Amino acid sequence: MNRSAVARLSAAWLSSFVGLSLLVGCGPSKLEYRPNDLHAASLTREGSDQDPRAVAKKTSALIEQWFGTLDEPKWPAETLGADLEAVRMDSVSRCAGPVGRGVDKVERGVFRKHCVSCHGLTGDGLGAAAMLVEPYPRDFRRGTFKFKSTPVGKKPTRQDIHRTLYEGIPGTAMPSFRAIDESKEFAHDIDDLVEYVRFLAIRGEVERRVMAAYVREGVELDPDSGRLKELLAQVVQKWAASESDAIEIPEPPAYISSAAGDLAIGIDGIDNGQHVELMKKGQSLFESELTACVKCHGKTGAGDGASQDYDEWTKDWTILAGIDPKQSKDWKEMKPFGALKPVLAKPRNFHWGAYHGGKSPSEIFKRIVLGIEGTPMPPVARAQNGNPGLSDEELWELVYYVMHLEERS
Amino acid sequence: MSSEAKFNFVKLWAWLSAMFIFPLIWVGGLVTTHDAGMAVPDWPGTYGYNLFLYPISTWLYGPFDLLIEHGHRLLGSWVGLLVIFLCISAWATEARRWYRWASVGLLAAVIAQGLLGGFRVVLDERTIAMVHGCGGPLVFAYASFLAFASSSDWKHAWPSIAPKGLWRLSWVLLGASVTQLVLGAQLRHALPSTTPVGFMSMVHLHLTFAGVVTAAILGVWFLVRRNPYRTEPRLKVPANALAGLLVVQLALGIGTWMANYALPWSETAPSLARYVISAKGYWESMLVTAHQATGSLLIAFSTWLICRVGRRQISLVQNPNSFTIPQDASIVGTARETQTTVGQPVSAI
Ligand code: HEC
Ligand code: HEC
Ligand code: HEM
Repeated sequence: MNRSAVARLSAAWLSSFVGLSLLVGCGPSKLEYRPNDLHAASLTREGSDQDPRAVAKKTSALIEQWFGTLDEPKWPAETLGADLEAVRMDSVSRCAGPVGRGVDKVERGVFRKHCVSCHGLTGDGLGAAAMLVEPYPRDFRRGTFKFKSTPVGKKPTRQDIHRTLYEGIPGTAMPSFRAIDESKEFAHDIDDLVEYVRFLAIRGEVERRVMAAYVREGVELDPDSGRLKELLAQVVQKWAASESDAIEIPEPPAYISSAAGDLAIGIDGIDNGQHVELMKKGQSLFESELTACVKCHGKTGAGDGASQDYDEWTKDWTILAGIDPKQSKDWKEMKPFGALKPVLAKPRNFHWGAYHGGKSPSEIFKRIVLGIEGTPMPPVARAQNGNPGLSDEELWELVYYVMHLEERS
Repeated sequence: MSSEAKFNFVKLWAWLSAMFIFPLIWVGGLVTTHDAGMAVPDWPGTYGYNLFLYPISTWLYGPFDLLIEHGHRLLGSWVGLLVIFLCISAWATEARRWYRWASVGLLAAVIAQGLLGGFRVVLDERTIAMVHGCGGPLVFAYASFLAFASSSDWKHAWPSIAPKGLWRLSWVLLGASVTQLVLGAQLRHALPSTTPVGFMSMVHLHLTFAGVVTAAILGVWFLVRRNPYRTEPRLKVPANALAGLLVVQLALGIGTWMANYALPWSETAPSLARYVISAKGYWESMLVTAHQATGSLLIAFSTWLICRVGRRQISLVQNPNSFTIPQDASIVGTARETQTTVGQPVSAI
């Protein structure tokens, strides 16, 4: 009980009743993409006297010219040129707009049907349930994703996002959409939603960059501005390249069978002696200076290491804007712009075997080698091109060790 | 007492109506859970077909959301038919005038529900969906009331207790359960534009009223075991049933939360840490729908309690002749016989 602690709740509880009376008066407003007020507030907080809401609104108007509206999304093809395409727009239009079926029986508004309650219409992570779940729903607009097969700074592949939607994320509010995928009727929904996530992420990141250029560099908010077109192309190019950025997973040793996913001792010719040996090697790597795993995950891997830190989505509007996320009177200044209470990024507890990015050895290998972007979890130093670091063999030993920290009954 | 020996058709149709409105709420709940409300884009027909002629094979083997949405419509028509039978037999045989009119009222309510449901499709209006969703359980409570009012307990209960807290508490319980329904519907039909703060308010209110309902049911459970109500053992039946439902409902409420949003402190137990919500999964849908259906049952059972308490309150019955005293003196007890003439005809109250 940390963020949702009782003390905080009772205060919030009281304000709920006040809030409700305000709510009753409001009818349904016109739905549109929400301007990125929080980023504007963060950018203008120091060294600018512009009104953040006005900045956000102006930027949003420009973005609408490129990416269209909530109900009618479009692709800035004229600006980018025909061959730079990073999303399938037919999928995007099917996911956008209100829920319902046309007379052609094809369902529309799939994103609104399945995702807005958490991720919000804009993909800003400010859906209705946002304050009540932990971790918070992902804000796609930063373009940062955690569970992927590409290095830090690169975009996830379609398969990565598909995997998240299909498997869900254990212990969080992010559901598995396996059930809709398995029904014949909705078989394409996940594929289409992946495109829409890409679309919202591109749209959101372009919005952020354009806003930064406007506030920091004084670039005019004109869709024909060369600088802004360049920013747009840069973001789109990254997403277009994502498929080829995936790293190669080296062949796992015999004692790891990636197909099985479950590393029981006594199969695949592993006897207890070899197991003890592997665990010893793994432990020394886990506790070594080089990997520093213990610093965060703790000596026993219970996620109770000394190091405490926030994720990038939080640092974005706190530390980067000169705000101390630990001081509530500091961060509350940003609350009117849509900031949620900063929460520490908790290192995983390995005893429970609940892997958020998938529990097969190859997925865990990816997490360790690539780090978890947007969180404090860094990529491990890998011995490549003469750099000091862990060899592939050692990496697999580390994977083996981490996986066997799970308590089994 | 002319109809005592004859088969009581009013009772039959009243109970059947209530019994079929209940599954209607379940199926209706599944329609919302699966967001199938708009699966069939037209109304009153289904994809241009007449409601009753829509090809069975397409319906049964077609998409699941079509199945439940169309099934909901069919079941609704069936309920309409039952209530028409109720009206006919009430006007033919029922002695109480208010009951005859109340049965017409039920028919009007069922038709209104049907129309609302239809407008919801044609106008694609969430507010209408919400009114339709809250109306269902209320119509169910109404139908249950007519069933209870046709029961033998209603006829044979005896005004023996002075008005005290239980009567008022039963109404508080009914009010709180209905409020709870409306709040639950706000959670269920949260709009895409609902803000996190607005949604949190709704959740807090829903939890607060869960507390009120809990307190009221505990109070009822306690009171029926004390004087003066202790002498009326039949009051214990709805009280115990309510207590049982409450336990189920609270568990289902927590289950519903988990199935929708997971628990925020999932890092406290391995089973929570490993739990993955399955969107539109079978168990998840069932939990959420069961929570809604049990909420309706709570409203109906509160009505039941009100009927049983009300019929035993001295001050509420101006005309003691409206009660039939069974001939069997061993059930009736001596105290009652001194107050009225055995076997006096029933007149309307
Ligand atoms: C009940 C709330 C909820 C719903 C509904 C939901 N999500 Fe999520 N989603 C989350 C949360 C919470 C996270 C953050 C998990 C984390 O940070 O570990 C998340 C994370 C994600 C991520 C990021 C994964 C990564 O690698 O960083 C994607 C992509 C995503 N969701 C897409 C979707 C899509 C598409 C839908 C609708 C089909 C959807 N979500 C519905 C709560 C939800
Ligand atoms: C600076 C802190 C830090 C260090 C150092 C660190 N981690 Fe992590 N680790 C985290 C955090 C935080 C998470 C949770 C990220 C999230 O999902 O939000 C995490 C998650 C993980 C996961 C879970 C992946 C999943 O799919 O759930 C694994 C496995 C992991 N770390 C292994 C390691 C190993 C092995 C090392 C040493 C090489 C290491 N970590 C070093 C902070 C750290
Ligand atoms: C006596 C106690 C309760 C009663 C009578 C009650 C009643 C209801 C009803 C009738 C609905 C459905 C409304 C509709 O769909 O039209 C509902 C929804 C809901 N209830 Fe409760 N409830 C109770 C307690 C709880 C508790 C303890 C929780 C736990 C957090 C809870 C969580 C929810 C949620 C999350 C929904 C929305 C479901 C959805 O999104 O589909 N309820 N409640």
